[in-house]
Amino acid sequence: MWLTSVSSQTYEANGIHSNDSDEKNEALIYGKRLSSVGPARVTGDLMYEPSNMDLAMKLHYLRVVYLFEVEAMEVLTMPRFKEAIFEWLCYYYESCGRLRREDTHGRPYIKCNDCGIRFVEVKSSKTLQEWLQLGDHSLQHRLLVPDHVVGPELAFSPLVFIQMTALKCGGLAVGLSWAHILGDAFSVAEFMNLCGQFLKGLEATYPANLNKSPPNNAHKPSKPSSTLGSGPLSLKQVSPVGDHWTFPTPCDMATFSFHVTATQLAQLSTKTGPFAALSAAVWRAIAKVRCGPEPNTITVVTRGVANGKAEDSLLRNNQVVSSVEAHFHVATAHIDDLAMLIHNEAQDERAQIEEVVGQNPGGSDFIIYGSNPTFVDIGGADFYGFEVKGMKPRLVNCFVDGIGGGGVVLVLPSPKSGDHEVDDNNGKIGDEGRIVTLILPKVYMEELKKELKEEWSLIA
Amino acid sequence: MAPSVSSLKTKYIKLGYQYLVNHFITLLLIPLILSLSLHLLQQPSSSSSSSRLLTTLHTHLTPFQLLSLTLLISFLAALYYTSRPRAVYLVDYACFKPPLTCRVPFSTFMEHSRLIVHDQKSVEFQMRILERSGLGEETCLPPAIHYIPPNPTMEAAREEARFVIFSCLDNLFKRTGLKPKDVDILIVNCSLFSPTPSLSAMVINKYKMRSNIKSFNLSGMGCSAGLISVDLARDLLQARPNSNAVVISTEIITPNYYQGSERAMLLPNCLFRMGGAAIFLSNKAAYRRQAKYRLLHVVRTHRGSDDRAYKCVFEVEDKEGKSGISLSKDLMAIAGEALKSNITTLGPLVLPASEQLLFLFSLIGRKLINPKWKPYIPDFKQAFEHFCIHAGGRAVIDELQKNLQLSDEHVEASRMTLHRFGNTSSSSLWYELSYIEAKGRIRKGDRVWQIAFGSGFKCNSAVWKSLKSDKKPMEDSPWVDCIHRYPVHIPDIVRL
Repeated sequence: MWLTSVSSQTYEANGIHSNDSDEKNEALIYGKRLSSVGPARVTGDLMYEPSNMDLAMKLHYLRVVYLFEVEAMEVLTMPRFKEAIFEWLCYYYESCGRLRREDTHGRPYIKCNDCGIRFVEVKSSKTLQEWLQLGDHSLQHRLLVPDHVVGPELAFSPLVFIQMTALKCGGLAVGLSWAHILGDAFSVAEFMNLCGQFLKGLEATYPANLNKSPPNNAHKPSKPSSTLGSGPLSLKQVSPVGDHWTFPTPCDMATFSFHVTATQLAQLSTKTGPFAALSAAVWRAIAKVRCGPEPNTITVVTRGVANGKAEDSLLRNNQVVSSVEAHFHVATAHIDDLAMLIHNEAQDERAQIEEVVGQNPGGSDFIIYGSNPTFVDIGGADFYGFEVKGMKPRLVNCFVDGIGGGGVVLVLPSPKSGDHEVDDNNGKIGDEGRIVTLILPKVYMEELKKELKEEWSLIA
Repeated sequence: MAPSVSSLKTKYIKLGYQYLVNHFITLLLIPLILSLSLHLLQQPSSSSSSSRLLTTLHTHLTPFQLLSLTLLISFLAALYYTSRPRAVYLVDYACFKPPLTCRVPFSTFMEHSRLIVHDQKSVEFQMRILERSGLGEETCLPPAIHYIPPNPTMEAAREEARFVIFSCLDNLFKRTGLKPKDVDILIVNCSLFSPTPSLSAMVINKYKMRSNIKSFNLSGMGCSAGLISVDLARDLLQARPNSNAVVISTEIITPNYYQGSERAMLLPNCLFRMGGAAIFLSNKAAYRRQAKYRLLHVVRTHRGSDDRAYKCVFEVEDKEGKSGISLSKDLMAIAGEALKSNITTLGPLVLPASEQLLFLFSLIGRKLINPKWKPYIPDFKQAFEHFCIHAGGRAVIDELQKNLQLSDEHVEASRMTLHRFGNTSSSSLWYELSYIEAKGRIRKGDRVWQIAFGSGFKCNSAVWKSLKSDKKPMEDSPWVDCIHRYPVHIPDIVRL
């Protein structure tokens, strides 16, 4: 039914309009229809209480885009699809709830009232190939995934938006807009992978876990930090936003994604993993092209471990947030030194972050991404595990919104080898390439791209 | 609290009185028969007295006269037999079970309202209504209404009609073994959606029914149209021997979702939900064994001659030209009056003699002795074992429970149907009956009273008698997956 009727009426709900919404961009997608999908069964009277770490991430939003080939659309018929989604959401009822504030301190919590996630159906006049070949990756960011924020009315703001874009060639783009308070990118990957299972026909046989709230202050400092006295470097307090959880980025950001093959990774640095090597390369390049003081401190976000087996399948902000400080000139440093610094000297600041946030959970607002240039390692996230009828995505991209002026660099998994776009893996490093998505200030993006191309041949 | 001695005494007196009056004829005849038999036994030659009677007859009547007498008696018997109305059996019925993907929790309803209705006060009004409505979190709206803003095209409305009606009919045909080609009478009632060709034509087209089928499509008759259809089916079945009738009661929500901000017109949005039922009625003797109920009475009361009653449920356009149903504030009072009218007619048909006598005495007493006496409300619990009160809203059920002095268990079916399915308009009575059956409460010989109110203002009642005790739980009942959770306690106000 949703494919046959086309309405040219666009209705924005809880969304911010992108700045460059000229007619050309609007024509790329059309026929927007909004509805809500929620759990098939009544959840009951449950509350989900985010931890301090969750609250620290509340101004950030993850935007994930899954692109599927031709034939993905044919296998999705509306009733079957929605049935699967409703069954799936029984297991993630906290994502279907709405935020409230506690009476005493105004600390946000989620009332699991089955309100649902917002479901957007859209059509596109471009084929999958055309989308992949678009030079401006910010269009993927802006058009294929909803740019929602929480607020201004907490009680009526969905935490998650899903957009289904029917591409001209019969392909499908699934855009997930995720409030970071619910969990990190790894949680998102698991969230969507279970959806894929239900689409495949998984029957819900076990009841949903009724006790999902994360433990508070779960992170103890692993090693004594020299910055204990001055507070975490990765956390920056911003002026209070009240109930409208949006952080206006201080400068115009540009988005660019590129693929790095395994061979190229080997050429970068062999001493550490691909993430450290790539982060080092980009950090150095930023230091070179950015005007003003060098970015000596960066934030590094890597995968954290769950607190026990039971926590494995739950939505959590388990990511390790660390600061890396360079006491030498970054722009001229050797990439291996930087990579080693990132790999070995990252200071886990989670305990401090939780302490600071815990002091005034209802009143203070913070950002982590972008407070310094932030490098996020989600190369290990199983994004390609989200299958639609046995078909893996052609490409998965991830963006972050609500970030600070430092910008964010995301290192994502690349499509699994077997796909013609990925070069042959010569086996040296032991895994496939990576996709790097840069969300950095527009002012130096072009120069940065040139630098990466010239210095490392990373960009074609 | 233990009943006091005096109330126990009153109870026994009442029971004794009821037994005396209700079985008056029996009690009168027993001594008469006893005395007659004693008298006969006391006769010395009792057997010869009867034979003497026969020979007297034999000698005084010629064979011709005897034959005429026999013929007369058989003629009168045949006349009596054929002039009796045909029994109308309810063979079976099927209710529509909405898919869980159409579920509308309170929070979703309120959120969508907030995004569509621009008047903040109207949104708050809707929230207050919803909190006190008695609905649960599993009621369903059709897919077109789930969009923000809703997308009520004619095609979407037809789609809903097809979905609901065909689902019920498939279920009904499967349950009863009835073939579509064997349907002689088809009646569809849907108040607010009346396309061309009609919904009954849509059914005939889909199921390839016979060309000489008698089809009817009732629209605009409100929530009590289900019983009007049953009444129509009954009249037709009386006129046609050996016929099958299928009645489809539904309400198509898609085209009637009010999208403005007028408060009186937002009320139906909060209460009306997706639902439908298909009922198979027959007068064929072959179905007698399979049938679940027999239709005893249908009583229809129309208060349209009173202007106030006529206008109390009215379809209007608001200032912005958006149409919706406006409910007036004195709806409950009018419903009460309509109910009184209806039970005044129904009472003599169903109440036992004891209650009717009491009512008569009370009436005489109020007219002749003291007008200030409280009118005696007959105890309908004596006439019926089960009550299906149209789940129009919590207020309606409360009002009827108070007026008829029913216990919580009597109105449980209505309240639970309102909670699980919302106000499904004309089909809600069938969901309620389905609830009672799912609970295993129906026994052979039980009488069920279905009562519905509707725009106009109408109050219609139907009385059914159960022909079998329902032991087997049905897998395709709409209650099958949730009956174990019911009854639930429904708080006065649900905090959203």
